[in-house]
Amino acid sequence: MLVTQLKPKEELLPIIQGERVLTLQCYGCAGVFFPKEEINLFLEEVTASSGRAIVKNIITDYLCNHEYTRARIGLWSEDFKKAEKIIVFSCGVGVQVVSLLLGKHVYPGCDTIYLNGFQGLTTLNFDCAQCGECFLNYTSGICPLTACAKSLLNGPCGGAKNGKCEVASPTGTLMDCGWEKIYKKLEAIGRLDILKEVIRLRDYKKLETGIK
Amino acid sequence: MEKLFQPKADSPQAKDYSKFVLKPKEEIIAQLKEANKIFLIGCNKCFKEFKKEIITASEENECVELIKMIREEGKKFLGCLDIDFLCNRIITEKIILKEEKLKDADCVLVNSCGLGVQTVAELVEGVVAPVPVFTAADSVPQGGQHSLALDEEKCAACGQCFLGLTAGICPIVNCAKELVNGPCGGAKNGKCEVAIATGLDKDCAWDKIYQRLTLYGLLGDAVDTSKIRDYIKPSLKTKDALTVSVRERRFEGFYGGVYPLEKKEFTNHKPIRVAPEPKQVVIPLLQHSGCPAEPLVKPGDKVFVGQKIGQAKGLISANIHSSISGKVVAVEPRAHPVCADKILSVVIENDGENQLAPEIKPKGELKDLSPKKIKEIIYEAGIVGLGGAMFPAHIKLCPPESKRIDTFILNGAECEPYLTADERIMVERTEDVVYGMKVLMKALGVEKGYIAIEENKPEAIEKLRAKSEERRAKSKENIEVVAVKTKYPQGAERMLIKRILNREVPLGGLPFDVGVLVNNVGTAVAVAEAIKTGLPLIKRVVTVSGEKIKNPENLEVKIGALFKDLVNFCGIDGGDLEIKMGGPMMGIVEENLDLPVIKGTTGILVTFPSEIKFDLLKPCIKCGRCLDVCPMELNPSNLGLYTESENWKRMHSEGVLNCIECGCCNYICPSKRSLVEAFKLAKRKC
Repeated sequence: MLVTQLKPKEELLPIIQGERVLTLQCYGCAGVFFPKEEINLFLEEVTASSGRAIVKNIITDYLCNHEYTRARIGLWSEDFKKAEKIIVFSCGVGVQVVSLLLGKHVYPGCDTIYLNGFQGLTTLNFDCAQCGECFLNYTSGICPLTACAKSLLNGPCGGAKNGKCEVASPTGTLMDCGWEKIYKKLEAIGRLDILKEVIRLRDYKKLETGIK
Repeated sequence: MEKLFQPKADSPQAKDYSKFVLKPKEEIIAQLKEANKIFLIGCNKCFKEFKKEIITASEENECVELIKMIREEGKKFLGCLDIDFLCNRIITEKIILKEEKLKDADCVLVNSCGLGVQTVAELVEGVVAPVPVFTAADSVPQGGQHSLALDEEKCAACGQCFLGLTAGICPIVNCAKELVNGPCGGAKNGKCEVAIATGLDKDCAWDKIYQRLTLYGLLGDAVDTSKIRDYIKPSLKTKDALTVSVRERRFEGFYGGVYPLEKKEFTNHKPIRVAPEPKQVVIPLLQHSGCPAEPLVKPGDKVFVGQKIGQAKGLISANIHSSISGKVVAVEPRAHPVCADKILSVVIENDGENQLAPEIKPKGELKDLSPKKIKEIIYEAGIVGLGGAMFPAHIKLCPPESKRIDTFILNGAECEPYLTADERIMVERTEDVVYGMKVLMKALGVEKGYIAIEENKPEAIEKLRAKSEERRAKSKENIEVVAVKTKYPQGAERMLIKRILNREVPLGGLPFDVGVLVNNVGTAVAVAEAIKTGLPLIKRVVTVSGEKIKNPENLEVKIGALFKDLVNFCGIDGGDLEIKMGGPMMGIVEENLDLPVIKGTTGILVTFPSEIKFDLLKPCIKCGRCLDVCPMELNPSNLGLYTESENWKRMHSEGVLNCIECGCCNYICPSKRSLVEAFKLAKRKC
């Protein structure tokens, strides 16, 4: 899943030096994640503090869709002609589609980052690292790569205190020790014997051979 | 025109967008050695185009292969479940709980990506039985595939967009070496040396960038400013915070929902204005759900303001009254804003005198009125739900004997974009809102009342809060104002009940099944008016708004006034228009403005016509966004396909009748399939 973040202001301000700046915002993924508020706040600030006016702010959705974007660009062709600089607030796909269709230089207003496993409809408390070789069979459905801060594959590190991981989670709260959860789960289903097997080594090469 | 949904046949991406591939046979069998009775769960992969006839996971080669494998090993195969988007815990849980055979299994084998396997593992452990869950697949990395950009990888999501420096050609994706500061120098005749070595034909990305920069005259500044790539960005912390925020939003108050642009600022600060007196009104005899009323007048009759001109007929129906005084010029079928057919309507010429009908008198003090008497007054006044559904209010007030109502909710959520009529009513007519609510609660014999308002209306919340507290101090009334999160469709009855009382209205049921009654604030004001002045429902507040309206307003309008008079009063820009009655999400598209305002006209929107037409024939790419937002927890993508194949039986069993037509799926669909239209049709067919 691609999500977008507003670019640092220092990077954007030099772009908005032109007289006629046109902004294009793609709200297609706003339902998932798009920094709508930050962008509008930034644009307001810029107009208020510097007096540089945004001549037009177009809001649309799914810029990534060639056919639709082509149809829409026709509607705004006058605005695009008049604009000196065009800033596109969308993921990298949207920027490239607009750039290709317009045949004009456009500036990206956002940085795009990739959330592993955040695909389709994740409403979950766990993640998938898309490692290319699922280990869930050995661990009865608890992923050691994502549930263990150290992504250990062959058992706990021994550093957990009272079932809590010694590595603080990114949000600051203590996370449970993934391997303790795995142990308890295997115990519950009577399959502790799985732990006696030697897990094969992780093949990092698989990361490269995915469908890319 | 290049076809978006059909990747080029020779591209490596053309074959599959799968996020998982089957594990080697030996590995699967090794896992199953202890198991004897195996149940299989397969995920219908995301980002995969549907075939015309929906292919289920079990029909796909790999599931057939798995079943064969299980049988060859001499194990018992109990059954198979195909679920769309296994990772959607809410929906997956419901399906798994219904499956009886799953309970006998001593092992569950899942064919999905890691998310699906973990979801199933958690569910099986928690609600079915402590049996092992095994995976049959490996998940593969799918960076860069997004929304509709399935045909080729376009964005590597590196976290620091270089496109502004490289004229819109991504060096990370297109350069084999991911160089960000210019070409490596190894390209031969514009072809990448890495590609040549691996037998591929690929242009040098930096060559393309150079050419485009030259074309735009940007050669100077671009290359200088290029920075060294920062591999640390984005940090795990950022990603984690994002994921958490997304999860929280999705479950706020109720499952799903969308956040359309509000556009309420056009009208939400403007006081309600009284629209100019209409010269002529067209009053349809059907302004409610149910049977049309019987006309009581004939051409040539003189009528007064508030005079009954249509008598309710049948079980579900409502009275109709004249909104002006004057002469009836016709009783004939006229165009109607909701019905496709012409509806019998009374056309009245205004004499401008506004003479009240003699029977219009205040109904006395509330304390002297019995619940029965209140219901009679409401019936006589022809009051219907003013939120848009137009269900007769007196029927709503008489739930079946077996259902005890303990809570009343006044709905001031007004979650539709543009509309602000209810908001202005709450701000300006606070007293009437609370009075009307009290009347309704007395008619029902209910003690506890809530007023639900979305957080985007702080003024209304403050005023009603002050009013309800003032009254509580005086008369021990139990009315509470609840500010609910702004999220569409918060104003739907089910969502409000879930949000405020955490009660789930059963599928196919009504709010009174959980002891609740929900009414709109406009209805409460109409009730207050009927008691205080005796006037029946002959006027309402209508939001006239949209990009094409010069001065958007909230107007108090006589029922039967014509759209075009109101729109002309507010001023209209020429050119192509799109007219909707109601809000942009659920409103009804109208052909022209020669239509009368009816009791359910919450707003008149005049906007630019949408540049992309919605069409059910556009392909479903199975991104799953619609499942993600459907507040009724349905599967709109599948339902859309069943409509295409006219499989009404399947539509019925998948629960299309529970669809509330809120339009979330249409709104979010990247492919712009006209899903709601399809479901409206299907509801009539099944």
